[in-house]
Amino acid sequence: MRHIYDGVLRRLDDEPLAVPDRVTDHVAGCGRCSARSAEIAHDTESAAQLFSAPQLVPDVDIAWARLQGELGSSRADEGDMRWPSARVRPRRARFPRVSLRAGLAMGAVGVVVVGTAAAATLTTIFAPTHVVPVSLSQSELRAIAAFTGLADGQTLGGFSTPNGSSTMRFGTITWSSRPAHPASSRAQAAAEAGLPVTLPSHLPAGVGAVRQFIVQPRVKAAVTFNPSAASLAGSSVTLDAGPAVVAEYAGASGTDVPTLGVATMRRPTARSAGASLRQIEAFLLSQPGTPPQLAEQIRLLGDLRTTLPVPVPPSVSVRSVQVAGWPGVLLADPSNAASAVVWEDSRGLVHAVVGILDSHDVLNVADQLG
Amino acid sequence: MGLQARHNERLERLDDGCGVAAFESFFRYHYLAVVRLAQSVVGDSQRAQDVAQDVFLAAYRRFPGDYEQAAGWVRVATVHTALNVLRGERRRDTRELRVQVVTSLPSAEDTVIERERRADVRRVLRRLPRRSAAVLVMRHGGMSYVEIADALGVRVGYVGTLLRRAESALRKEMDRETHL
Repeated sequence: MRHIYDGVLRRLDDEPLAVPDRVTDHVAGCGRCSARSAEIAHDTESAAQLFSAPQLVPDVDIAWARLQGELGSSRADEGDMRWPSARVRPRRARFPRVSLRAGLAMGAVGVVVVGTAAAATLTTIFAPTHVVPVSLSQSELRAIAAFTGLADGQTLGGFSTPNGSSTMRFGTITWSSRPAHPASSRAQAAAEAGLPVTLPSHLPAGVGAVRQFIVQPRVKAAVTFNPSAASLAGSSVTLDAGPAVVAEYAGASGTDVPTLGVATMRRPTARSAGASLRQIEAFLLSQPGTPPQLAEQIRLLGDLRTTLPVPVPPSVSVRSVQVAGWPGVLLADPSNAASAVVWEDSRGLVHAVVGILDSHDVLNVADQLG
Repeated sequence: MGLQARHNERLERLDDGCGVAAFESFFRYHYLAVVRLAQSVVGDSQRAQDVAQDVFLAAYRRFPGDYEQAAGWVRVATVHTALNVLRGERRRDTRELRVQVVTSLPSAEDTVIERERRADVRRVLRRLPRRSAAVLVMRHGGMSYVEIADALGVRVGYVGTLLRRAESALRKEMDRETHL
C-alpha cells in the first residue's frame, strides 16, 4: 500500500472513525507514516493551543437588547427595500459615545457622584452595561492627577464645590450640580432622584436600621480641549452622572458607625462633540504622564462604551459574580471584614452594596435588590 | 411564487411578532458560540460581540422566519466577517481580549505573554492565504470536516489537506514571528 497522504493523516487525528480501517492499520505498521502522523499531530496540538483562549462569557440578555434596537431601526429604515445587503454595520451616533478607556484615562473627568466611599467607586463615565475591575494604585492616581493637572481628590470625582471649573493641562473642565443632601424617607429620596430605591428585606446580623438617605443630584461636567491637545483642540466631552441615592445603615448595637451602604444611581454617560472616539483615546493613552500599567489595563478592557470600570486598590481581592443574573464585581479586603459588590441591572441602574461585612453577607443583600 | 414575493411574505410573518420570538430563540441558542468563534480571530471581546451583532442582523434579514437554515450559515459568516475585520485593521495588536468572568486580576507577566501570543496569531492570520486562515479558524472553532467542506465548497476529503497545509504554514509563520 502507498504511504498515506498528509490530509488523511490529519483527519485521522481529528475524526479517526471517518478514516478507513486500512489506513489506520497501515499507519500502525509503517514507521514513516507513523512518524509523519506524530509530526502532524504535534502541529495540530500547537495550533489548538494558539487558538485556545479564556472562555468569553458575554451577556446574552444585553446582546439581545442591543440587537433588538438594531432590528427595530433597520426595519424602520428599510421601507420598500426588501433585499438588504447581508453585511450591515451598526449606524454610528452623530455624537459618538465616549469609551470608558478614554474616560478612565482622563481620570479627572471621571466624575463623581456620591460623597461616600461606596459611591466613589461608581464614578466615571459612559453608557456602560456592565462592570469590570481595574486595578488602580495610589501612585497611579497621583500620576493621573499630575498628568491631567487636577488635584488628587478630583481624579476620582469629589469636586469640592457644586459648581466650578478647573484648568487641566490640555483643556478646562467645568462642572455643575447641587450639593448632596439628606432625605427624610425612602419615598422622598426616590422622588427627588427619580429612581426606584429598593432596600433589602432581610439584613445580616449586626446591621441596624437605615440611619439616613442621601440624595446626590445629577452631576454634569464638560471638558473642552485646548490647542495643547493637538488634534482634539476645540472638541468637548460632556459627562453626565447621577442622580444617586445612598441608604446608610447603622450598626445593630446602636453605634453611630455605618455598617452597610446601599447605593443606586443612573449609569453615567458621556458624549463627545468634535473629536472622534479614537482620537480621544489615542491622545489620552499616548500622553507620557499616563501610568503605563493603567494604560495597558485600559487597553485590555477591549472596549468600551459599555463597560464601567470599578477602580480597585491593588491589595483588594476581586471576584466576578452574578447578581440576579447580572454580572457584578465583588471586592473584599484581605481579612474579608469589609466587602462591596457593584453591578448594573437591565434598567441601566448601577447598584453598590458596601458593608463592614463579609462577602457572603454583602452578596445576600445584593441578591435581594437584583 | 417568486423569490421576492416569498421573501416579502416571510418578512410580513416576521412583523407579527412570532418571527421575532423565533429569532430571539435562535439568537440565544447560538450567540455564545458565535462570539467565541469571532473572539478567536479578532482577539478582544467587544469586537467579537460587534461581529456577532453584524452576523445575526444579517441572518435575520437573510433567513426571515426560517432560522433553522441559518445555524451553519452564522458560523461561516462569523469566520469571514471576523477575518474581514482583522484584515481591515493594522494597528490593534496591542489590544487584547478581555474576559468578563475573571477570578482575579491577571499578573502583569501573564498579561504581557498572553497579549503577545494573541497579537502574533492575528498577524499570522492576516498573512496566511484567506482560505488557510478560514479553515484554521473553522476547525479550531469546532466545525466538523463536513461543515468546513460545505462552507468552503470543497470535497470533504480535501479538508484534511487544506488543514494540514494551513497548520504547517501557521507553525512556520509563528516561528518567524518568534525570531523577528
